[in-house]
Amino acid sequence: MTIEDQLRAILRDVLGLDAKRAAALDADTFLFGAMPELDSMAVAGLLTEIEDRLHILIEDDEVGGEMVETFGGLVAFVKGKRGE
Amino acid sequence: MTAARSPRVHPYGDGEFMLAYGPQDGPQILILQPLFEEMNRCRAMIAGVCRALAGRTIGCWLPDLPGTGESLRALDAVAWEDWLAAVEAAAATIREETDTPPVTLAIRGGALLDHRAGPKRLRLAPTTGRSLLSDLRRSALASGSDPAHPAGYTLSPALTEALSAAEPSTVGDIRTLRLVSDDRPADHRIAGTPLWRRPEPATDPEMAALLVDEISSWAMP
Repeated sequence: MTIEDQLRAILRDVLGLDAKRAAALDADTFLFGAMPELDSMAVAGLLTEIEDRLHILIEDDEVGGEMVETFGGLVAFVKGKRGE
Repeated sequence: MTAARSPRVHPYGDGEFMLAYGPQDGPQILILQPLFEEMNRCRAMIAGVCRALAGRTIGCWLPDLPGTGESLRALDAVAWEDWLAAVEAAAATIREETDTPPVTLAIRGGALLDHRAGPKRLRLAPTTGRSLLSDLRRSALASGSDPAHPAGYTLSPALTEALSAAEPSTVGDIRTLRLVSDDRPADHRIAGTPLWRRPEPATDPEMAALLVDEISSWAMP
């Protein structure tokens, strides 16, 4: 599974998105601030689920801004963390 | 059987309460719920599982720990040892009421406390205290609220410190269940969604049915 597909699956599980919405997530899809399901508690859960499933550690000072603004930003962040 | 399906409210420990489902003459399960917001998110699922297990002649006991759920105590006055002592007291109460030592089902952060309940434990998606604290801290950061009162939960410094070091105990007769999407060590994996992550309480009837099967075959002597 690609990082993109893993992140789609995580967003689907964490936010309860249906399959169609999850599949439609692309680099330009706005996340935090645009998706009603993604409130601050959900962001916290999302990041922890990403840590658990993709085996990275996310520091507090990395949270916020571009990384959760768009799906593309999140993918780039995770790939950077994994050195890909 | 409607009477058996409505939970009874039962006192335990130091002025705390637990819900009791099902008969008192079959296997008895003490259920340790997830901690903090995850408890609210899983409540409907856990209540459904308890009712289904009660229908299979398994008694289920669901304590609200001090400072959580319906407890009258304030969370900021609760220490880690209070939770451990409450788990021990709940197990003792079940033993006294039913003449049966309970087995324990611990979900998520509940697994950090289960070693004080008894040797035989089933865990669903156990997690560490560090991970739970990260969740609380991050939600505060993301919402711009005070990190000392993350998501409306005020923890005493002592509770925070104990939690940050808390890991599930590895001593005892432990069986660990995880979701298929979680590749960390487990004895068995079930299909389902991590309901404890959902911002709005949700249910997953298929996962609940799998869980009921797993729990009942594990709890039956």
